[in-house]
Amino acid sequence: MKNMNFQVNLQGVIDLLSNHLYSDPGVFVRELLQNCVDAITARTRLGHAFEGSVKVEVFPASSTLSFSDNGCGLTEAEIEQFLARIGSSTKREDQDAADDFIGQFGVGLLACFVVSAEIVLITRSALDGDPLEWRGKPDGTYTIKKLKRQVPVGTTVYLQAKPDYEEFFEYYRVCELLEKYGAYLPTPILLREDKYERRINDAVQPWKLSKPEAMEYIEQSTFTKPLDIIPLHSAIGGITGIAHVLPYAVSLQDEKKHRVYLKNMLLSDKMSNILPAWAFFVNGIINTENLRPTASREAFQENDLFFAVRDELGACIKQYLIELSERDPELFQRIVLIHRASIKTMAVEDEELYALFIRHLTFETSYGDMKMAQILEERTTLAVAASVDEFRQVSRVAKAQELMVVNGGYVHDMDLIRRLPAVAGNVTVSVLDSLTFAERFEQLDAEDKRAAQPLLEHSDRLLERFNCRSLFRWFEPADIPVLYNTNQEANFFRLVEESEKEANPLFGEVVQVVKNDMYEQPYARLCYNYNNPMIRKAAQTRDPALRKASIELFYTQALLLGNHPMSADELRMMNDSLLQFMNKGLDGEVEANR
Amino acid sequence: MKNRYDELRRATWSLPDGKQKLAVMEEMILIADRYMTEEDAYDIRMDYLSAAIEAGCPEKMLVVFSWCVSKFEKNPGTYAHHMLIWCYKWVLNELWQMPEFSLTQIERIYADFKEKCLQFGYSLRPYYQQKINLLLSQGLQAEAAAYYKKWRAAPRDSLADCKACEQNLFGKYHFQVGYPKKGLQALKPILDGRMRCRSIPQNTYAQIILPLLKVKDYEQAIAAAKKSIHLLDGPMYLEEFGLFLAFYTVTDLAKAEKLYNRTVHLALESKNGWIRLHYWMAVRQFLREWHRKRRRKKLAAADVVTLDWLDGEIASLTAAFNRRNGNDYVSHIVAENDKTAGKLLREYAAAQ
Repeated sequence: MKNMNFQVNLQGVIDLLSNHLYSDPGVFVRELLQNCVDAITARTRLGHAFEGSVKVEVFPASSTLSFSDNGCGLTEAEIEQFLARIGSSTKREDQDAADDFIGQFGVGLLACFVVSAEIVLITRSALDGDPLEWRGKPDGTYTIKKLKRQVPVGTTVYLQAKPDYEEFFEYYRVCELLEKYGAYLPTPILLREDKYERRINDAVQPWKLSKPEAMEYIEQSTFTKPLDIIPLHSAIGGITGIAHVLPYAVSLQDEKKHRVYLKNMLLSDKMSNILPAWAFFVNGIINTENLRPTASREAFQENDLFFAVRDELGACIKQYLIELSERDPELFQRIVLIHRASIKTMAVEDEELYALFIRHLTFETSYGDMKMAQILEERTTLAVAASVDEFRQVSRVAKAQELMVVNGGYVHDMDLIRRLPAVAGNVTVSVLDSLTFAERFEQLDAEDKRAAQPLLEHSDRLLERFNCRSLFRWFEPADIPVLYNTNQEANFFRLVEESEKEANPLFGEVVQVVKNDMYEQPYARLCYNYNNPMIRKAAQTRDPALRKASIELFYTQALLLGNHPMSADELRMMNDSLLQFMNKGLDGEVEANR
Repeated sequence: MKNRYDELRRATWSLPDGKQKLAVMEEMILIADRYMTEEDAYDIRMDYLSAAIEAGCPEKMLVVFSWCVSKFEKNPGTYAHHMLIWCYKWVLNELWQMPEFSLTQIERIYADFKEKCLQFGYSLRPYYQQKINLLLSQGLQAEAAAYYKKWRAAPRDSLADCKACEQNLFGKYHFQVGYPKKGLQALKPILDGRMRCRSIPQNTYAQIILPLLKVKDYEQAIAAAKKSIHLLDGPMYLEEFGLFLAFYTVTDLAKAEKLYNRTVHLALESKNGWIRLHYWMAVRQFLREWHRKRRRKKLAAADVVTLDWLDGEIASLTAAFNRRNGNDYVSHIVAENDKTAGKLLREYAAAQ
């Protein structure tokens, strides 16, 4: 048996890593900056007394860029080991151990091949005095030579733009990228073009700002004044940061863009998952010492530590809200008002937050929009409608009956209301059954009942084929002649009927089982309001044709008003009854004119 | 009406999985039936199938699928057969879990599925896979083992579940036939992070927590639970919620309480007898433990879900499955479940 090695197409691998690992060509600036900072850290560890700095110089005439640091430099052996071997890291043996270095993978330089056809590196090690020049090409070849001239301790990398990438070598672009990635690095970064030199990073890190300073910083950088600043800490993630509360509502679907720094260098300005999903009313600016980035260094590895850190950051936001409700109730109310969607999502997921928020949340009720605190002050019995449609069917009438019905049709509202007894022990919550809703209205007395009986019987016969049953009640408001109630299952039953008609014998039986053994046939309810003069007139008529047309019109009008899709049969019925009344009216006029 | 249809369609995008979403889609179907083309009505019904599964309403899926399969048979050229047969797998997967369907009825549908696979040139791999569930629910382990072999041997094609899902089911099969260690071994590629998909590994973690308790690997069991509980959300995970409830009843009663309060309404609304039976068994164990101490706190649905009520529900579901199966296998499952739950509690308490 012979042990063989895989053959690797080096050029292919370099191309793959350099062109496909990173999402943006500008990351070469980050990789070079990172190498500079790590080299300075390494030299500091050697005990050398020096002022670390990174100098970047732009040479516009030749579209060339240099990155110089006065860090530890590289010896020939180190060059062999680290620059010429993809996957080796200069930084450590144990990849999981935390330390001061930013980089980890030894692939950083590859990012330079995206924008440059050659990397030239001049270095002098702090340990061994020979200055060296290393030239690497994307086909995997490189040369090393000793330089005769002296150079200071440290490393300088030269890159020349490939065609189409000149933009990344222009002063303004380099400046922008350096600011983006390095604005908060502690090592001074100087950018130079010709004789003009400026320092890139003299700003205080936002996570070290006091609250008023942070407010001002956010206002200046985002052009919106945040509602407040929440300090974030995670001991296990080595995190300090701030979350600013957005002054406007955000959609649940919007992707979150938290700005995350790893050891003071920007890792990503659009990280969505470092804070819990429910925290979409804040944007975070976070610096971590301990989380591990992925190879492309644009996200973190989602390991146990990551999730634990996220929970810890979530706990910071929760704690802030709990404290705020006592410290500054007015601001608390504003946050609730603006971010109610987010807060409802939080409250559904977390008991503690549920107890904190539920009284401050506003719900749509039969008495208009009300805060839960107010609802609970006034009522101990609530009914919750399962859908917006059911709520709309009953809300106006419910108010007239002095019934508190809450709309549970919006996202999370049903869950939130159903859980009320957990925080308010004396409250009973029932799910509104819109089909039996009308039955609770005032019954007619014996005489009215007798008078209404023919219409009722006629109505039941006529509407049987639409699975609708009728009843007479006396209710307010009087201007509503009929109340048509159906529930969600009624529409499903229409589908059952469609399937019954279409299904082959095998599946016809399946439909039968569902229909007969798993559900009760839901009948819609048409409740005639005897308080309405038109209804009383219709009940009194002795002409069966007129009565029939009245029933048909009441029924179809109720469907129309409730937004219920009408079948062809129902549409025909509406037209026929309307025409009949028109006819009658016009005939009457003709008679009168004679 | 097209406007209303589009408005409803937009509404479905923002609604979470659940009955409200189904209600909106039901109205869309009615509109499509009345005012749009048959293809529109077919397409929205196909969308409804997955929404019904995600809403934990398999019976609704069956009703709508019945319409689709019949339309498909009448006009096979108009509709894609792959999509239909793919959804047909869901039908098989759900049918045996509802004791309202007789064995003959279920077997005829399985046979129809098999015929359609052959007719359209698909491997019988999914058929064998589905057959195992049905046989195991009747306690026919030897027959299930034979089908397991056929399943593993049949070639994979575009109708097969994804590799991660299948691997998960290999593990689940071993758990079901009483080999927790073998099951854990089968799930290793998933647990090592080498296989994943939309529902794996969260589904896998839920499957392993109880077997890990059984083999007394408490540390890993708790770690697995911690990793996955936050990934489960929505009515389609009722089975997994039942497993977690059983798990937390043993390891962390406060978490069990929280989970129970969050999920009990899903079980009350579910029409899936098999999942309900398992969920209620877990709840019974939870309530027994919960009531060991005097509690001031009121649990969700406390006036409905009492120990007596649970006894009744479990007994009637058990009787329904026994009647369907023509044996008393499900009674054994229930007895065994009680025994195991007690044993796990004692062992875990002793290890603390």
